[in-house]
Amino acid sequence: MAALIRGLKAGRALRGLRSVAVQGTLSPQCNNVRRGFHRAALLRLASDSKSDTSVPPPSYHEVHTAGESSSSSAQGESSEGAQSNTSFQDQSGEHGEDYETEEQLQARILTAALEFVPQYGWTVETIAAGAETLGLSSASTGMFNNGAGDLVLHFIAQCNAQLAETLAEQNNLVQLGQAESKKTAEFLKDAVEMRLRMLIPYIDSWPQAMSILLLPHNIPDSLKHLSTLVDDIWYYAGDRSTDVNWYTRRAALTGIYNTTELVMVQDSSPDFEETWAFLDNRIKDVVNMANTAKQVQATGEAVVQGLMGAAITLKNLTGMNQRR
Amino acid sequence: MQRAAKCALRLDLSRAFCPSSVRNCPAINKVNDTVLCRRYSVLPPPRDKEEKAMLDSMLRVDHAGEYGANRIYAGQMAVLGRTQTGPLIQHMWDQEKMHLEKFDEILGEHRVRPTLLLPLWNIAGFALGACTALLGKEGAMACTVAVEESISEHYNSQIRTLMETDPERYTELLQLIKEFRDDEIEHHDTGLEHDAESVPGYFLLKTAIQAGCKAAIYISQRI
Repeated sequence: MAALIRGLKAGRALRGLRSVAVQGTLSPQCNNVRRGFHRAALLRLASDSKSDTSVPPPSYHEVHTAGESSSSSAQGESSEGAQSNTSFQDQSGEHGEDYETEEQLQARILTAALEFVPQYGWTVETIAAGAETLGLSSASTGMFNNGAGDLVLHFIAQCNAQLAETLAEQNNLVQLGQAESKKTAEFLKDAVEMRLRMLIPYIDSWPQAMSILLLPHNIPDSLKHLSTLVDDIWYYAGDRSTDVNWYTRRAALTGIYNTTELVMVQDSSPDFEETWAFLDNRIKDVVNMANTAKQVQATGEAVVQGLMGAAITLKNLTGMNQRR
Repeated sequence: MQRAAKCALRLDLSRAFCPSSVRNCPAINKVNDTVLCRRYSVLPPPRDKEEKAMLDSMLRVDHAGEYGANRIYAGQMAVLGRTQTGPLIQHMWDQEKMHLEKFDEILGEHRVRPTLLLPLWNIAGFALGACTALLGKEGAMACTVAVEESISEHYNSQIRTLMETDPERYTELLQLIKEFRDDEIEHHDTGLEHDAESVPGYFLLKTAIQAGCKAAIYISQRI
């Protein structure tokens, strides 16, 4: 009779373990967990046979909670495993303990896709080709809700980050005294030229990318990237203004950058000489305008002072200035 | 160039002393960490975009507030500069100038965008200062009392927010805001001492000015 009850208890325990183990069957790593459960169940049977007391051994609880937590992590892992087998092995062939996030995976796919842009343009086929080079199925383009827009935005973000890094390094050199600081106009010209040169490998298909960026659902993101770019360039050019100049300078540079980009797209001169000449002229224009504004302000102040002087002279002459 | 020297110092030491978590965080624009180091600046390096946005809007509205206060005192001085209250207003104005300078420095260092409406606050502040000063010394003092009360209430709410979020992380910023708030309360008390309440229509004037200040604070946090 006692043996029957023990057998029933053991059966219930095993069934309970199985229901927990079922959740983890999707991932092969749960095999270890299930073996653990088996061993725990066997231990329970053994302990049951040793003593008739029905005190639940603490090991059962520990395994149970450990099993639950590892099975829930296995669930998370399995959903990523379904998406990318690369979480088990990185490209260096190591078995990854640290899983990459979905964003990191997307970034890797898009970076790989960039080399196919000259071939397929800025389209979903490019992303599919990129995914295939990483050993993933071309159906992983389903991850990208925005399709080609994601690719273009990723490329822009990458270029901006690269530019910011280069400008930061130059800034460090200048502050450490190992390089000369450039004048503002020259700095702006060099920064914009450096950024636009990053488009040269993709210049043939760039009009397509620009039109993708102008789609209504992409405009907020593309504006955000543009404003970060312009802010970075001005920051490293030394702008620390905290008044309206903050806005006028960035607006001017945005205008320069956009128009130069448009010129570059239809420029056929060797190494885009005409584009850099156009850029040079625009920057000169802006610098001239700034100088003119300063001159106008100085003149205005001088005129006001002259008028005040004339008014006081008149008051003195007519005797109105005296206190009575 | 002084700033460049300070930055160079920060650069060398920041590499040594800054926690590596700042440099590893992918959400932050990495180039910022060369200039941000806890030891020398008022703000800690931002750990994510939400914190940066919160600190940005706080500093933006503080900067706008000091700028407006500066212009209000300028307007008052333009009318009452040559009277007996001139030196008193000049003293309070000088303290506000120091506050504005400090915020200018912080905004430039931490790449905070100033509010777009600065020209509006320029004109509105000067007009408010000049019009209330035309009501006489009591009018100017009443304006001071109303504005300083709004500003110190605003600083208090910022201090509350920062304390609720993480007082240790923001110690320097909290210290700065507390110092400025104490200055503003001092101005408020000075105004009361100098017969602010005896201006005709004091209650109406005070309520109107404080309503304007609340609207200005609300807008400057966003735009």
